[in-house]
Amino acid sequence: MASRREFLQAGVAASMLPIAGLAGTSSAPAVETLPLYKIIFDHRFPSSREFAAQARTLGLAAHGIEGDITDVWYHDLSLRWIQEPVAIGGLTAHGPLFCLERLAWDHRMRVVFRGQHTVSANGRMEHALTGPQTLLGDASLLAGRPGWASSVADLMARFPVSRADTCDRTIVTPTRAAGLDSEPLFSWVIAPKKEDL
Amino acid sequence: MKLPPGVKSKDFSDAIKQFEEAVGKEWVFTSDEDVALYRDAYSPFWGEEEERVASSAVAPNTVEEVQKVVKTANAYKIPIYTISTGKNLGYGGSAPNLSGSVVLDLKRMNRVLEVSERNAYALVEPGVSYFDLYRHIQEKGYKLWVDVPDPGWGSPVGNALDHGGGYLQPQYRNHFDSHCGMEVVLANGDLLHTGMGAMPGAKTWQEYKFGFGPWIDGIFSQSNFGVVTKMGFWLMPQPDAYLTGTVTVPNHDDLIPLIDTLTLLENSGISNGMPGIGSPLVGGFMMPPPSPEVSAMLAKPDGISSPELQRYARDKGIHYWSCTVKFYGPAKAIAAQWEYAREKFSAIPGAKFQDGEFYKLPLTPDQFNRVHKPEFGIPSLEMFSIGARSPLNPTPGEGHIWFSPIIPRTGEAVFEANRIFSQAARDFGLPILSFSLPTTYWMRAFIFLFGFPITHNVATNRKNRESFKKLVQIAAEHGWGEYRTAPAFQDDVMATYSFNNHALLRFHETVKDAVDPNGILSAGRYGIWPKHLRKARA
Repeated sequence: MASRREFLQAGVAASMLPIAGLAGTSSAPAVETLPLYKIIFDHRFPSSREFAAQARTLGLAAHGIEGDITDVWYHDLSLRWIQEPVAIGGLTAHGPLFCLERLAWDHRMRVVFRGQHTVSANGRMEHALTGPQTLLGDASLLAGRPGWASSVADLMARFPVSRADTCDRTIVTPTRAAGLDSEPLFSWVIAPKKEDL
Repeated sequence: MKLPPGVKSKDFSDAIKQFEEAVGKEWVFTSDEDVALYRDAYSPFWGEEEERVASSAVAPNTVEEVQKVVKTANAYKIPIYTISTGKNLGYGGSAPNLSGSVVLDLKRMNRVLEVSERNAYALVEPGVSYFDLYRHIQEKGYKLWVDVPDPGWGSPVGNALDHGGGYLQPQYRNHFDSHCGMEVVLANGDLLHTGMGAMPGAKTWQEYKFGFGPWIDGIFSQSNFGVVTKMGFWLMPQPDAYLTGTVTVPNHDDLIPLIDTLTLLENSGISNGMPGIGSPLVGGFMMPPPSPEVSAMLAKPDGISSPELQRYARDKGIHYWSCTVKFYGPAKAIAAQWEYAREKFSAIPGAKFQDGEFYKLPLTPDQFNRVHKPEFGIPSLEMFSIGARSPLNPTPGEGHIWFSPIIPRTGEAVFEANRIFSQAARDFGLPILSFSLPTTYWMRAFIFLFGFPITHNVATNRKNRESFKKLVQIAAEHGWGEYRTAPAFQDDVMATYSFNNHALLRFHETVKDAVDPNGILSAGRYGIWPKHLRKARA
């Protein structure tokens, strides 16, 4: 497995490529995908809205927040997770992820994919991703989307049930044409512990 | 896995087996992945060898299981560290004081055992969160409010035992004050009921606190003398209405009569919501910093009290201070209370008044979405959505710790505390505001809260830890003590409560040795160490 540094260097070398142009082949064997009960997005951030729009086209249920997850937690997730620990994904600021990760722990769930999306010093977007190797090596399947946030939605729609090995990967992409988000965003998937699957 | 100090590997593995027999194998956590969940997300030792980490965790479901776990721990002398929901962020989270401790995680004990609408109380287990209790009350349709902290994902039991507070009427706002009756598992596994609960078949366990003889509930708060497995709380009847009003005063020195008047109104029961003192010149807790021009004036040694700033405020027509007072009660009554408050505040020359929010309760859906929910007994996580990034805290996602001294309820004390803490901030290069106003208003004292940022930079954290300790010392030299602190600083804070050669700590240690001779319960919590570890630390 390549080290984080090697991935970073690869990211710099590939800095002019869209996120979809990176490793992987479309001929990779089909993997069973993780059903996402819902994805959470934040209306305040353009990238998060773009992520939700793409997720909806992929058939995922999207729930919008404006920073605060109390309502979706109290009226939806807390009740659902008592019945069954269903997986969710999101592209949000740090706060919602921080809360949901800790609330999910109490239902034997874990963050199984985490991406931090920040503007780097050279003005490009840096995406530091941690997740299943099968997923992060499968990025070519994301081809053809207009921006990185849409690609993240694609990636979640193809999230594998099996996640035996995790890896880190950093990818650099152009920033959104339609403006920057006012806070660093995090993409994430929360799912039941491996042994509970 | 980091084993507890002085515990043999064989004893530890035997104890783990017995824990598994007591609670079920799936509720004993020993894998690195599971144990990592008990790290303090805001640890000031993040990434350092000194970070306090657990060895494992055990999650019982009933008081009988707690007793079995405690008896096993006592037999093998395994240190255990009790948490309720483990959300005590900024004050230690769910990590133990003593590395290698087994976390006794009570989250599964999440039953609301009783709620009496008629007599406005609840009896709950430690794993019940504020959300759980709120939901129970809503589902039953009881006209009762729970006084919740902000954020509200913690446990009434845990928050009360740590002396946390909320926002409602003063008799509910201090959560330990508003409890009534406890069940406690002692270190030998024995079961104790306090107050009226000591009488078999008692009818008033949650109605009369004291029972007969010494009232001992206090020794189970901020301590390690037992494992609290049930606790009663008094709840606030849903009021008819809510009203706020704001008084502004023009001059620097007006803060003194402003606070005196507020205190009189609160001690008289006229104003009964959590007030808020502010200043447009300095901003306040979780508010934007002042303008660069004002910041420059505040940064000077005489800061808020500088003639330059007073002139600036006068010339710009900016009032120096504001105080928002809040009222719960019948609409006619609280309107009269606000009128009376205005009359009292009018004694301050130049005082002006503005009517604030008025709501007939319960809130409409639109009002529900607009209000600061804890002031209406509604738990919320909105706190985490506030953009906390600022020059004072450039990496809010990595957390903070609270420096939180208790200050007298006078304007003079507010000025003095700011003068001393501002000087210390300048001396140590601390990232704290140039001027702070009280954050929490107890009936008889203020709590100041200064957030120290936590970073994932070891050198920065070391510097901030040293500064924090110096600040604790400086505060104590002026008679101001911390009300609560993270495990990293509990010894330092306890050391400042040193009257008569640390008579209080010596008493704590005497009690500890008597009720927990093997020192298995939450070693080091709030500076109370068992005998065998005291010797090692001396």
